[in-house]
Amino acid sequence: MGTKILSNKFYSQMEKLEPRYPTKVALLLPALHAAQDEFGWLPPEVMDEVAVYIGIHPAQVREVASFYTMYNLKPVGKYHLRFCTNVACCLRGSDELVEHCEKKFGIKCGETTKDRKFTLMEEECLGSCGTAPALMMNDDYYENLDIPKLDQLLERLE
Amino acid sequence: MSAQSETLFIQHFKPSAKPLDYYLKSMSGYQMAKKALAMSQDDIIAEVKKSNLRGRGGAGFPTGMKWGFIPKQSKKPKYLVCNADESEPGTFKDRDIMRYTPHLLIEGMVIAAHAIGANSGFIYIRGEYVVEAKILEKAIEEAYADHYLGKNILGTEFHFDLTVHRGAGAYICGEETALLNSLEGKRGEPRVKPPFPAQAGAFGGPTIVNNVETLAAIPFIMSRGGEWFSKLGKIEKSGGTRLFCVSGHVKKPGVYELPAGSVTLRQLIYDHCGGILGDKKLKAVIPGGSSAPVLTADEIDVIVDIEPLMKIGTMLGSAGILVVSEDYCVVKLIKRITKFYAHESCGQCTPCREGCKWMEDILERIEHGHGREQDLGLLLEIADNINGKTLCALGDAAAGPVTSFVKKFRADFEAHIRGGKCPNA
Amino acid sequence: MPKCIIDGREVEFTPGQNLIEVAKKGGVAIPFFCYHPGLTVVAQCRMCAVEIEKMPKLQTACSTPATEGMVVKTKSPRVLQAQSSTMEFLLINHPLDCPICDKSGECDLQDNSFKHGDAYSRYTEERRTYLDLDMGPVIKKNMNRCIHCTRCIRFGDEIAGIHEMVAVKRGNNTEIVTIDGKQLQTEYAGNYADICPTGSLTLKEFRFKKRVWMLRKTPTVCEGCSRGCNMEIQQDANVIYRCLPRENMAINKYWLCDEGRFNFTYVNSKERIISPMLKEKENLSDADWGTSIDLAKKALEGKKVAVLVGSDMTQEEAALLLQFLPKHLPNSEVFHFGTPGVLSTKDDGHADKILKMKSKTANLNGLEKLGIQGYSKLPTGTNAVFVIRGGRAVLPDLGKVTTVGYGVFMKPQIDRFAAILPGVSFAEKDGTIVNFEGREQKIRRSIVPPGKCKSLSEVLMMWANRKVASGAA
Repeated sequence: MGTKILSNKFYSQMEKLEPRYPTKVALLLPALHAAQDEFGWLPPEVMDEVAVYIGIHPAQVREVASFYTMYNLKPVGKYHLRFCTNVACCLRGSDELVEHCEKKFGIKCGETTKDRKFTLMEEECLGSCGTAPALMMNDDYYENLDIPKLDQLLERLE
Repeated sequence: MSAQSETLFIQHFKPSAKPLDYYLKSMSGYQMAKKALAMSQDDIIAEVKKSNLRGRGGAGFPTGMKWGFIPKQSKKPKYLVCNADESEPGTFKDRDIMRYTPHLLIEGMVIAAHAIGANSGFIYIRGEYVVEAKILEKAIEEAYADHYLGKNILGTEFHFDLTVHRGAGAYICGEETALLNSLEGKRGEPRVKPPFPAQAGAFGGPTIVNNVETLAAIPFIMSRGGEWFSKLGKIEKSGGTRLFCVSGHVKKPGVYELPAGSVTLRQLIYDHCGGILGDKKLKAVIPGGSSAPVLTADEIDVIVDIEPLMKIGTMLGSAGILVVSEDYCVVKLIKRITKFYAHESCGQCTPCREGCKWMEDILERIEHGHGREQDLGLLLEIADNINGKTLCALGDAAAGPVTSFVKKFRADFEAHIRGGKCPNA
Repeated sequence: MPKCIIDGREVEFTPGQNLIEVAKKGGVAIPFFCYHPGLTVVAQCRMCAVEIEKMPKLQTACSTPATEGMVVKTKSPRVLQAQSSTMEFLLINHPLDCPICDKSGECDLQDNSFKHGDAYSRYTEERRTYLDLDMGPVIKKNMNRCIHCTRCIRFGDEIAGIHEMVAVKRGNNTEIVTIDGKQLQTEYAGNYADICPTGSLTLKEFRFKKRVWMLRKTPTVCEGCSRGCNMEIQQDANVIYRCLPRENMAINKYWLCDEGRFNFTYVNSKERIISPMLKEKENLSDADWGTSIDLAKKALEGKKVAVLVGSDMTQEEAALLLQFLPKHLPNSEVFHFGTPGVLSTKDDGHADKILKMKSKTANLNGLEKLGIQGYSKLPTGTNAVFVIRGGRAVLPDLGKVTTVGYGVFMKPQIDRFAAILPGVSFAEKDGTIVNFEGREQKIRRSIVPPGKCKSLSEVLMMWANRKVASGAA
């Protein structure tokens, strides 16, 4: 491996965490989170660098990364909208919210707008059933949504 | 009916700028850990056994008994792991505990770690709870600074390190051995049991995995005794209060705290949650998170606790109660539930990997009017071929709902099949 | 020994043994896919579910150790129902391409389907499909046929020591891959095809070459190094198609390295010398055996001869030679050769952490036991060399000294030879070899020697009995 792609911040974060775990492989999930925080997604060369850092085969990183839905294996938009469409949200009208966004952005779930501004996804239960329907945008939850509230939220976005 | 009863958690569920200050002042924070650290491990476990505290994650296993399984002597380090994956659809109580009273959980873990002799602990929190993970991390930092965590806790010989470990989007990581694999940096695939975590869990060491609410109840037990806690419960074998999560078509969805075994489903829905949205009729209730078999409107005069629900063929699970009103299509609902399990199946074992998707495909056809008469029998057989035959409980979780929906709402399915479309559409 | 009861029969077991193994010992075959005695137990396929008294749920036999007095039923109605449902699940997405699948005839899925499956399918949804994957020179992956047993993943991780074969995604979409179309790196890749319970991982070399039921099998020992892995030669009409490992827990367990597995290809090689040859002027040309032996004798008799015996020869061959030489080539000294840098068993050792040894021939230890020294350089005064080898021993550089060769040679190797007497390979003879630990094992003849190739005993006999007036060629 030539020059490093991941930042010093990544490596110092990992160094801090390392003593907490009895094995280095246990750092894989935290490392992938931290790497994704830097790039917004996990390009293959970043995952390969994580493999080198942890000392495992690159394939092992991929098999783990691809198991979990929150690791983005392809680039996502500036605003990553994950609508919960599981039972409680579905009972409270999440389908309409998703449909509304699909129409508004002209994309289907799982896709990103051409200007890379929005990625739209259906998400499994977010644990926000009492305040359904809920949306996770980037790291934050938006709850008790309806179409007007959603529109308001989207309008505020740059 | 709903006489005011003692609550432990819910009065503290409000945002606070300084959760540690609040915890120390209003909840006698870390006094219980002080008390517990002076007690012997056996005495703490005996107290927890006395409390009749049962695991709040879904299985309802007696907590004290679980702790008792940890070997006293172990060559490998022991671990305490908090299951904060809260991924069962319909469940959202642990999130409140973590964001409003993080120190309650931390103190519970300090006590539990001392009881089982673990010097290292992890809070495995679902990846989506980014905000809650940050709150916990901050609270842990504060606790380290004030010697509630780390070396020589509260001036004793006891050391305990606690780390927040974030998941990354996988329902199956709520299953304790899948969670441990995920903690170890692997795919979240459940392990073959035995060995059980108490013998060989995290990193091969004896491990206790407890739910957030379970661990957060420990300081209360330490503070006022196992017997007191046990008596809070109004039903045999279930101590304490319970956090019920009610969602779906009720007027006031949310988290409700009531003594264990003190309330029926009907009371919970109509007295506490204000009844059905739009005053419509009740169609169905799923009483324990989406893996619990469904109940019809005629079956809600049942005490919401482990044994009574088990007796009528369903389960309390994580106490996530999903309420469905008369005009919602139950075929669509079970299709959505089944899609979830197919999506979350880890794919290791045959019946779950193949069967869940097969059921989803059939339900999808029926929902859109392309069902066949023989599909219902086939669905029941597939569900039966999954149920009890998989590596972990996810198979049962997928099969139970399908069986119950098809049996209890057969007419709705037949209407879809015969009409060639959804009658509600 | 403790006992348990399987299908009404009392079976003794060693504590720790799982029910599949215990049942096997008692003559009861429990079907399975993901279980492999050489790999960790994962209990994923669920095919081995059995009923155990006092346990409400069916238990997987692979993950259940037998206990004293345990009562197990492997053919109860519940078990049969579970087996048939597991088969149904495994087959809903499996293609019906058995007629053109190389695994057909030795496929666990096919065999268990025959025993436990249904004749018709209730599945009417769309089947899951994938593109085939190239995994390098040894293995081809057909994911459609995969039943997700993960034996290959565990083999890579636990035996080959490289985590290159992985499962990506999850659930119904789980795919077994090497990432980004990477080639397999392990030198044990052939085992992936052996342990695959379906035709999902196949040997590229063997694809579409032969129906497996046409193959005749001879148990033998690999000659690829001094370990002596047990294997089987599979041939039809005197052509070897493949070699597979045979279980021997003391030597190679269940495995075989690729070098050993594909070593046989030289046997059928077009380059192989299968007729005696003589050098006339500067050119080698085919000759008959009589003339060739006469010329060989002429080239060697009366000279100071170094006899170089490949350590790929058997004990029987070497012993015969040691009896032959004092009478027929009295002015000779014998040395063994085989692997550059490995002159004796002291130089031998493990070449990797799995099976491979440094000595690339099978019988170094045996020849040393017969008192033969390793070859380093020709003794002074040597004016002729007699090389005797199988197909493995690496020929040393002999310079311009007159050389006669007996054994297996390829065309490029024989430029400077005066005479070549074509011999037999390990697949064409019976004999004993002694591995690095001193274990004596038999190699067995599986095919007839090609062309005019003759065994060493025949050749030495001809040599001894052929009366040639001295001076008459």
